[in-house]
Amino acid sequence: MWPIMKITYREMISKRIFTITILMSLAFLLLFGVATWYAAREMNESWGGRASDMLLQKNFFSTQLLGMGLYFGSFITALLAILSSVGSIAHEVESHQIDTWLARALPRHRYVLGKFGGLTSMLVLYALLMFLGILGINQWVGGGMLAVDVSAQQIGTSLGYFILMPVILVCVSLLLSSITTTVTGGIILIILYGISFIGGFVEQIGSILGENALINIGIISSLLFPTDSLFRQSTVALFEAAEDPISFASQGIFGTTSPPSQLMFFYTLFYGAATLALAVRLFGKRDV
Amino acid sequence: MSNYVIETWDLSKQYNGKAGCKNITLQVPRGSVFGFLGQNGAGKSTFVRTMLGLLHPTAGKAVMLGHPIGTVESRQKVGYLPELFRYPDWLTGQQLLEHHAQLCGLSRSQGRAVIRDVLEQVGMAGRERERIRGYSKGMQQRIGIACALLSDPELIFLDEPTSALDPIGRKEVRELITRLRDQGKTIFLNSHLLSEMESVCNYVGIIHRSELVVHGDWRKLSSVAPQVELTVEAASFSAGEELPAFVTESRLLREAASRATWLLTLDQDNRVPALLQALVGRGAAVHEVVQKQQSLEEVFLYWVQKKEGEAHVADHENHV
Repeated sequence: MWPIMKITYREMISKRIFTITILMSLAFLLLFGVATWYAAREMNESWGGRASDMLLQKNFFSTQLLGMGLYFGSFITALLAILSSVGSIAHEVESHQIDTWLARALPRHRYVLGKFGGLTSMLVLYALLMFLGILGINQWVGGGMLAVDVSAQQIGTSLGYFILMPVILVCVSLLLSSITTTVTGGIILIILYGISFIGGFVEQIGSILGENALINIGIISSLLFPTDSLFRQSTVALFEAAEDPISFASQGIFGTTSPPSQLMFFYTLFYGAATLALAVRLFGKRDV
Repeated sequence: MSNYVIETWDLSKQYNGKAGCKNITLQVPRGSVFGFLGQNGAGKSTFVRTMLGLLHPTAGKAVMLGHPIGTVESRQKVGYLPELFRYPDWLTGQQLLEHHAQLCGLSRSQGRAVIRDVLEQVGMAGRERERIRGYSKGMQQRIGIACALLSDPELIFLDEPTSALDPIGRKEVRELITRLRDQGKTIFLNSHLLSEMESVCNYVGIIHRSELVVHGDWRKLSSVAPQVELTVEAASFSAGEELPAFVTESRLLREAASRATWLLTLDQDNRVPALLQALVGRGAAVHEVVQKQQSLEEVFLYWVQKKEGEAHVADHENHV
């Protein structure tokens, strides 16, 4: 399995999409840092010594800015996960590069799991650095004005949800890559991600308006593809303090008024494991 | 240990009941160079890919190196050069071989030594640090052969191994195949280049329209009765009365100056000494006797045409 993981690392690093994503991520973090710095300076100048009086507004702005950064961070992590994994098996089958690997004494399940290990470890590392980069900017560049007050436990839990998203995406991506072509798999996966993305917003709007139909649409879309619920769980874990009676996790456009249940988290884990198991099974049965 | 490295029984791989390979029953002797001959699209590559577990058979069974095909054990000591050799072009030749060496379970030091050796064997030493995307087709084919040899395999499948090589490269590959055979390895050679196969193969299987027509020692698959070309002094020989009974047919090929060349068909191929004795005894002035050897191409064409004829008759009977 290790040689397949190793070659997956090499492949990812050698791809232009990976280099571009890294460069664009750095550009994003730089921009986010500059925006945070200016926002903190502006708030300092506007509110100055009255900061304690404006605590609600300060907390609202700081969680909004951090929430926005994390949302964009999760979005580019998802895109990188989709683009780097959807062709990982399908492209090799299409080009017949896979023939010499599978003609070795290598069980097919090890090939799929090697791909899974290589892709997820790289993407988890990327998501981890992205999350910590955004949070670090908020804490250090934002200073006293924009730094969201979070505990280590909150960061750990939120990070756990955040890095689980690319893992789930890789599981589904490998399933599609095992049974279909790169282009078909890519289209299906982007549509699924889009459904989850839109469904998440629809559910939150439904929750604000008290519309059950909209909430149900959101739940169904999360059951179909549960990545958005992971982002919601991540922000809820980060912004919702038990001792704070006012929930900042529910505020603004990236807020979560209808937080996913714990059951949804277990469903997401099951979803990932089931799609990976299905990928292994179907790839073992197909002709290459 | 079985004398055969490959045994198949009615092995089929068909796509919606068409094409692929159908009811292939053959044995490949250990230590042989087995040529699998057939036209483009006859099913040669499908058979090889089925043996290697890349395709799942639709019927029949097969054993490779004593293990059922599709199992990891059956591929443990097997090397493979695919017809469509495509390797990750962002790797260097060395990196490609290192990855394959790891998959073969070789340690780092073992891998280094084996890689050096196979690079020498395929004439790629000194070019291994270059990226595969910069290799010519021929170089890619050579690095593919190096890959196939990495695990010190007992059985090596080479699917059209000289398709991208120049004449010198082809000759080198033929010599490599002979060396590998001398080391006791079995080579399963897929090709439609019969002239190349003739010089290296001792066994062949002929596949036509998905079905195996015949297989065995190709020199024994000769379709025509043994023949000799006899050159004699024209005045000293007359075919009509001076030929022994075991000469079943005679035909004058040419006459030049005072010499005549005849094509004689014998009932058995060990009759040449007796023929010579009889001719000399009857006063014929013999200049030359050449035993005719059928080429692999002639053998191939004979069996393919025979199969076509049988299929034609069967079709006709079905219509009637």
